[in-house]
Formats: sequence, C-alpha cells, structure tokens
Amino acid sequence: MEKQLNLLKVQCLESISKINNLHDLQELEVRYVGRKGELTMILRGVKDLSADQRPLIGQLGNQVKNELDAAFAARKLDLEKQDIAKKLHDPMFDVTAPGPEIGRGHIHPLSQVQQEVEEIFNSMGFAVMDGPEVESEYYNFEGLNIPGWHPARDMQDTFFIKGKEDKKHGRMVLRTHTSPVQVRTMEKFGAPLRVIVPGRTFRYEATDASHDTTFYQVEGLLIDKDISISHLKGVIKEFLTRLFKKEVSVRFRPGYFPFVEPGLEVDFSCLICGGKGCRVCKHTGWVEFLGAGMVHENVLKAGGIDPKEWQGWAFGFGLTRLAMMRHGIDDIRLLSGGDLRFINQF
Amino acid sequence: MKVSLNWIKDFVDIDTTKEPQKLADLITVRTAEVEEVADLAGNFKNMVVGKIEKIGPHPDADKLQVTQTNVGGKTLQIVCGASNIYEGMLAPVAMSGAMVRWHGEGDPVELKPTKLRGVLSDGMLCAGEEIGVESKIDGIYDLTGVGFKEGTALSKVFSKDDVVIEIDNKSLTHRPDLWGHYGIAREIAAITGKPLKKMDLSKVKFPSSGESPKIEVKNFDLCPRYCGVIITGIVVKESPDWLKERLMAIGYRPISNIVDITNYVMAELGQPLHAFDKNYIKGWIIVRNAEKGEKITTLDGQERKLDEKTLLIADHEKAVAIAGIMGSENSEINDGTTEIIIESANFNPESIRKSSTRLGLRTEAVQRFEKSLDPVLAETAMRRTCQLILEVCPGAKIAGPFTDVNQGLPKPLKVDLDVQKVSSKIGVSISLEEAQKMLESLDFETVKKSEKILTVKIPSFRATKDVSIEDDLVEEITRLYGYENIDPTLPDLPIIVPMRNKERTLKHEVRKQLAFVFGMTEIYNYSFYGKDEMTKALIEDKDHIELQNYLSQDQTHLRTTLVPNMLKNIVSNLRFYEDIKIFEIGRTYREIGQYFPLEEKWIGGAIAHKKNQKMSPFYEAKSIVTEFLKQFFKCEVEISEQSKAPSYAHPSRCAKIKYQGQVIGNVFEVHPLVLSNFEIQAATAMFELNFTKMCSFDENFVKYSQIPKFPGIEIDVSVVIDSTKKVAELEKAIMKADENLIKRVRLFDIYEGENVGQGEKALAFRVLLQAIERTLTDEEMAKIQQKIFANLQKLGGTIRGI
Repeated sequence: MEKQLNLLKVQCLESISKINNLHDLQELEVRYVGRKGELTMILRGVKDLSADQRPLIGQLGNQVKNELDAAFAARKLDLEKQDIAKKLHDPMFDVTAPGPEIGRGHIHPLSQVQQEVEEIFNSMGFAVMDGPEVESEYYNFEGLNIPGWHPARDMQDTFFIKGKEDKKHGRMVLRTHTSPVQVRTMEKFGAPLRVIVPGRTFRYEATDASHDTTFYQVEGLLIDKDISISHLKGVIKEFLTRLFKKEVSVRFRPGYFPFVEPGLEVDFSCLICGGKGCRVCKHTGWVEFLGAGMVHENVLKAGGIDPKEWQGWAFGFGLTRLAMMRHGIDDIRLLSGGDLRFINQF
Repeated sequence: MKVSLNWIKDFVDIDTTKEPQKLADLITVRTAEVEEVADLAGNFKNMVVGKIEKIGPHPDADKLQVTQTNVGGKTLQIVCGASNIYEGMLAPVAMSGAMVRWHGEGDPVELKPTKLRGVLSDGMLCAGEEIGVESKIDGIYDLTGVGFKEGTALSKVFSKDDVVIEIDNKSLTHRPDLWGHYGIAREIAAITGKPLKKMDLSKVKFPSSGESPKIEVKNFDLCPRYCGVIITGIVVKESPDWLKERLMAIGYRPISNIVDITNYVMAELGQPLHAFDKNYIKGWIIVRNAEKGEKITTLDGQERKLDEKTLLIADHEKAVAIAGIMGSENSEINDGTTEIIIESANFNPESIRKSSTRLGLRTEAVQRFEKSLDPVLAETAMRRTCQLILEVCPGAKIAGPFTDVNQGLPKPLKVDLDVQKVSSKIGVSISLEEAQKMLESLDFETVKKSEKILTVKIPSFRATKDVSIEDDLVEEITRLYGYENIDPTLPDLPIIVPMRNKERTLKHEVRKQLAFVFGMTEIYNYSFYGKDEMTKALIEDKDHIELQNYLSQDQTHLRTTLVPNMLKNIVSNLRFYEDIKIFEIGRTYREIGQYFPLEEKWIGGAIAHKKNQKMSPFYEAKSIVTEFLKQFFKCEVEISEQSKAPSYAHPSRCAKIKYQGQVIGNVFEVHPLVLSNFEIQAATAMFELNFTKMCSFDENFVKYSQIPKFPGIEIDVSVVIDSTKKVAELEKAIMKADENLIKRVRLFDIYEGENVGQGEKALAFRVLLQAIERTLTDEEMAKIQQKIFANLQKLGGTIRGI
C-alpha cells in the first residue's frame, strides 16, 4: 500500500506538470484527490490493515493528500497567471477607436473671466455689488458730477428710453458705465466701502469688430480713511498679476473723468511683447486698460458720505476687452452672437 | 489736437532734434495723452535737390527720357516721363528708400531702383503732388533759382523740419488752457523745468481816440465779455509763407491773411476770434438771442433756422454770426475788404454746446468755447491779433481804442491746501515747500497760511471749471510729482469677509451645473429685440420698454423674455449642428407703471433636435429642470399642468414649475406657429426660470433620512387607460392605496399602438413598498396591490396581467 501511495503521488505530480489548462487540471484533481478519486480508493483499504500499520499508512496518506493539494493549488495559480498573461496580449483591441459621444456644455468666456475677477477681488475683501441696467440720468450722469451740458457726455453716446422722464431722475437711459452703482452703493451702505461691480453696459455706437452696443465693465470702489493713489496702484497691480498669472507692471498717467479728482488712466505692460513694443500695444509697450482716480467730493456728497472724513478711489475697466485680450478674440460681436462654433471653443 | 513743436519753441526752449518721442512721452505721463508724433521731415527722407546734367532719349519709348542727375557727390541715371525737364534744371529727386505717392495718389510706397522699358532708373524726378508739396505747374517741380544747391535735403528746401504731435482731445476736456500752443508751451515749461518765454504784447498800442466799434450785449449770461476793435487799411491777400506753413503743419487750410491770422491766434492762444467786414455791418454790433424762426446762412453755405435759445451776433438789420459757432456769408472777409471789426469774446460754454448740438454744427470754435474759456483771454487774443495784422499788412492801422463790454470779470479764486491731506491722498509724503514749488511752476500763486496750509491763488486760465477745490490741486501736485514715482502699496485695512452676493455666487454655480452636468452651452444675447422678433414669437408689445434712439430694427425694445433671441440662436446654429442644448442667464425689463422698470434675472434653456426622437424634447427639458432644481433647492419642485402658457409655448405642452407654492417658471414645447415663424425645422423645447425669484427663497440643506434596515418589495402595475388621462393623476391614485408604505411610484413604460385600443395607452408603473421597522408580509403586499388595482379601475383603467 505504501508503494501504491508513492506511485500514485509520482504519477499525479507528473500529470499535473503536463497539464496546461485549468479545465484539465480540475478533471485531474477530481480523478486523483476527489471524493471518489484514486487516492480515496486506495485509502479505503486502510481499515483492512493491521493495527500497527494503520496509523503509519494513514499518516502517509494524509501527507500525500496534502502534497498533491498543494501541487494542484500551485499549478492552478500558475495556469491562472498564464491565462491573464495571454489576455494581456490583445492585438485585436483598438484604443484608437472613439468611445460613445458624451457631450459637454461650455461656459461663455465672459462668464469665466467675470468669475475670476470676482474671486480675486473677493479675496482682497471686496464685495460684489449689482445695480439696474436701465438707469436714471441722475445716477448715470448728474450724481457722478457730469451735468447735462458737460462735454464729457460726448464720450458716452447714450441710449434713451422712450417717454420716461422724472423731475428728480431726469430721462431714463441704458447705463453707459457701471459707475452709477457707486452712488447707489454709497447711499445704501455708507462708508467704509470695498466693492466691485461687474455688469452689462450700453453705448449708442455704430457696431464694428471693436465696438458693440453692449459690453461688460467692472467698477471698483474703495472708501476708507487715508486711502491713496499708491494703494490704487498696489491693488491694481496685485489684481492683474493674479489674473494673468505673471508679474505685470502698471503705468499711471493723468486722465479726465468728471467723477474723480485726480483722474488717471492706467496702462499695463504689454503681455505679448513684455513691454518691448509690438502690434498689440501699438509699439508703446503699454496696453490702455483702465480709468480711475480719487472719488470726487461731489460724488461722495451725492452718496451721502462726508468727504472731510472719508476718501478713496474708484476704477472702471472693460471686462469684454479683457476677455478679448486674453483669448485673442478679434471681433467683439462674437461675444453676443450666440454662435456655438465660437462658444464651444471655451 | 495737433501741436507744432516749432511753434512751441517760440515760447519754451525745447530740443526737437533729439527724440521728440521722449518729450511726447513726458507730456503723456504728466499732462495729456499724446497719440502720435509725426516728424514732417521724415516725409522727405532720402529726398534731395538734384541737377539734371544730361538728357538723352530712351531707346524703346518715345515718351520717356533718360537723364543723368547729380544729387551732390554722385550722379544717378533716372528715367523720366515728364516733358518739362531741361538740362541744368534743379528738381526734387527721390532716391532709393524714399516714400513717394505715385501721381499724388494712394499710400506712399518705397522707391527702389527699377528698369523702365529695359533701362535702369535709380530714383525719381518728382512732381509737387508726389512729395506732398503744393505746386502751380504740371510736371516736375522746378527748383532752379530758388537758391539751393544739388544735394540739399528737401526737408530744408520746404522748411519741413517740424515735428507735429497729436494730443487726444478727450484728455483735454477739462483743460481749456491747453487748446492752444501757448498753453501747451506753459505746460511743457512746468514739466521740463524750463522757463516760459512770456508773450509780450506791450508793443501793441491802441490809439486813445478814434473809431471804436459800438457793441451792445443783451444777454450777459450767455456772453460775459465781448471785446472788439476796428482795423483799417487792410489789403486782403495770401498769407506769408511762415504763417501758411504753421497752419498747414497742424492741418489748417490757409485762406487769406486776415482769416489765417484769426485761425493762427486761435491755434496759439485757444481763443476763437471772428473778423467781420466792417462795411457790411449796419449800425452797431448787437449780441442777442435769435428770434423764433430767424434764419442765417453760415460760412459753409448752409441756411440754418434758429430758435430763441441760440445766441447771435447781429447788426441792426440782420444776424451776422451764430455766436461762438460760425460766422455768416453776409459779412465775411473778401478780396475787397479794407476795414474789419475783430471780435474776441467769451461765451457761455453750456449755451454754445447746446446750440451746437441743436444745429448739428461742431467747429473748432465750439470745441474751445464749450470747455469754458478764461474771459481774460479775450483781451489777450485781441491784442495778439492786432499785433499780427499790423505785422502782416503793412498799411493796416488800429482805428481807435478797443471796446470791452462786460459786467466785471470774475475775482481770482483762492483755495486752501492742506499738505497733510495731499500726502495722504497721494500716499507719498510731500512737504509744504515741495507743493509750493510745483504749484508755482504752473503759475499758481501761493501764500503760507500755517505750517501745513497753503493758500493758493488760481490763475484765471485755470479757474474756469478746471481748478476750484483742494483735490484739483492734489492732481496738479501728483502729476508733477510723477505717477511713476509713486510706489504701489496695499492698504492697511482690517481683514473683512466681504458681504455675500447670493445671486452672483449662485449664478456661477448654476452655470457650472447646466454646462458640466446637463451638457448645455451658455450663450449671451443682446438685451433687445425688435417688432419682427416679437411678432414671430407672438409677443405683444405691452409691458415693454422702448428705446428712443436705436441703431437697428432688431434692437428697438428691451426684452421681457429671453425666448425670442434664443430662438434666433437655434435657427442660426441648426445650420451647423444636429442637436442643440443652450442656456442663457440674463435680465428682462418690464414696464410696471413706475419710473424704474422691473429688472429680473432669468435662466432660459432650449433643446432642439433636427432628427425625430422617440420622445418629445419637452421631457428632456423637464428632466433637466427637475434634476437641476432639486440640486438648487435641495428638495423637489412641483411640475404641473399650466393653464396660462406664455404665447410662444405650445398651449397644451407647457408645464409650470412651482416651489413652495410659488410659480418660478415654465417648461414647454415651443408653439408650432412660432417655430414656423422662426423657420426652425427641429423639435424644440424650452424652459424659463425666474432666477431672481429662485434666489429669494431661504437656502436649504439636504435633510438626511434614515436608510431602511429592512428590504422593500417592488411590484409592477400595468394599466390600459384612456390616452387623455395624465400620469400624475394615476400616480396619485396609486399612492392613495397606502401612503405610509408606498415609498415611490415610477412610470417606466408608455405604450400606444396596435396592442391596445384606439385612444388608449398602456402605462407600466413600478411601486416600491417599504416599512422602516420590519419586513413586509405577503398578505400586506397583496392587500395593497388589490387596493392599487381598485383605485386605477375607478379611473377607468384595465389592469393587465390579472
């Protein structure tokens, strides 16, 4: 019997080594070590052995069984690995074929820039304000120190609303800038103030690649104690550097806007040529960007703020222009045209 | 405004040969934006006087001749087609590299050596118009005998060694003093630290007796000052070259000596003047308002009808000029004029501006008067004009003392300046002495009032609507200090968490949801539409705000809904896309019987499919709205039948969307008539959500409900029922079977077709039964099922499969 067992072991181990698929291996396992397998058959004879033989052969039987089980398990693992390895080599699978179409929507480039601008100023403690787009002549002009006869009105060709006139408010207009929100915000919250106002503005202006009746501006306003032009320079520089994600320098020069005094024009160093001069900056190295200045005392007064106690600055820039510059958009009309071939690029 | 630097040199020493751009840049950062620097000599680059030494025939062309032309030091072979050349002639030669205008037309092109009919021509003999010089003869400009040798630069010959800078008019809006060369020179003197050579008019003597113009001002509000003088012995002729050159350099067309001088003084001092032919003035000069309907023919030959608000210069018979705007033909200077009246007046800026707008007539004079001119300047300009006329017309004589009509000139204005305040506003420490020095360089007079306070006297030329408060002086000091010298710093303010703008924050969130979760693309439209769009969308024009002035027919009304413009987006994009999913977040404007209209923000969505789909796009839109709003409100909204569908919606395929009992919008298929009006050939559904209203609700947090520990049972119920029955009604009937245990009812199939009767549909619902605390028994389930069946049968349904 001992011989039988050893022979079986040798035969079985040899067969295992010759097997090369899992199915055959399983059959082999049943044949040798299954419930009705050869090993079981042999071991059935143990009960007929003498009492001193029985434990020895029993022990040997278990040993053989364990050895064979281990051999089957090892071979199984081996074959499984081989199987996976085979699957890994699959020249029929084409990764270059497209998957099913999953459409994604697109957010308008103006919204994207606007959100970024809002977040940058938010992080500097500026709140985002809002005001009406259909505005009174008072808030759009008079409240901003631009009386009716003022030549500055020439700069801002205005849409007027039919049949709307009021003693206090004057005629009704589509706001030509976001500045009317200055006085509105002062009236509502008083000083100190730290706000920006991004919004839609309108000009009665013939349309071409760089002019449209509709565009977006961002107004900024900081009123507090001891607020200076130096702070304006600092905040604008910080803002632009964050927005363009590289160091930007700014140039201030005198400019005229009736609602500020002193009034300034702000240019930033051309990002295309780095200030050396190119077509984009008309060979000046500077890109005209923003109008600003210290808030005029008449505007503070109109907003109910005492100019002896508080001072500050305001600025305004074209969000539309910023988006166009950032993405190299050469026709402003694309922004309001609803053409998906354009918007789907963003 | 164009400024000749040669002219500036009359008043301040500047070196224009070296980098005029540097001066321009300095003006830009200290005073006003210089838009262009034009070196007039640059136009004559590579152009010299040439002497034609030899002329020979061209072998292949009768009309061409081949010359040997000496250009000083070398001789060039130049082929020429003009017939007026001769050997020994001195003529302008454009050499290789010069910019010329062929036959005086088109843009200048660079000249290169070239072969003309096989013969090399290394340059060009030029006619006047080809080099931008006025010429009285046809053909090549003849320089023989003018006194220049061959090789002389043409810029020298034509005295075009000037540099002209152009200053942006807008940046001079508040500076009436800078609308002339003298003012600019005064400014340049201050910013360069050089002395100003003041204009000396003391030599202009007015006789103490003789003839003076009689002037009557009827409206001093509109004409605070009127100076006039009579000059006799005038001979009207062409102006001398120096005068013409200066005017041409800044873009004025020379006319005749008297007119040119008035223009010259305007360009020099910024004061517009007018000269009348005295013989045409009947009686005396009256400054009065026009009578209603009064007419005048202005110098441009146009007859203009006036109103009572317009100020006129008149005599006893007629109007002779629209004050401060333009003179009339009836008294203009002409070749026979011998005696003139010079007008140098000051007019009310507001009135000039308004009259100019009403008349649609903008002139150089208007541009200046509307800026508020210094009344003192009227007299200065009159003296300067007299000086120039006497210089240019040798026989001219001032006839008598000048007349000066005014009600007293404004008293000089004094403003106190707190140097501490100045420093605080600039962000740089400025001492009293520094402030004093800077202001004085700009002709402000200062007196030290205390350690920190200066009393500043504003010069008259800065006192009109320009400098009147302390901040105006802050500007003067800041710009002289130099904006570039101010360091950028961040304000030392307490950290604050800015107030939240709920609408803005949510708007950005909503965009991301609609775009990245629901695959819709954001578009922007104009806030306007026109009658045509309204008609097509079946919208009436009530409640609309209308523009008084508009630029195109599709921009006449402010939108009360986003729909019409979005439908236009659909049409235009269907040319390129099969399927469209777009949204817009924008304002609507509605007349509500008050001064301000109601502005609301809306979200509009549109879905269009060119190819026929199994389901109406309504359901796609509804699913988006449902999921989107669930995320927005953190709880379910109610979508139900809408009996008051908007005009552009399909009346029976429109559902209203309610949240907390309030309607916040609609989801609908577009009305078939509207689709056909817009020529949209695609199934189109839309939704409109009142975003302003959506933001007005309190914000919620998701409320967690316990995850059931015991399994639920799903049962399917299939019912055949009348096609007009609504799913919502059936769902309700199912729910009613046991409102505690039925957790969810979901329609999973709709069938209409041959397997059911006509006018019927088969609906299949999956119903979830579940109890929190136990497993349901078979009896419970069977009982509920029976109840469901009964409820559906009550509605006329036939249960399938039983």
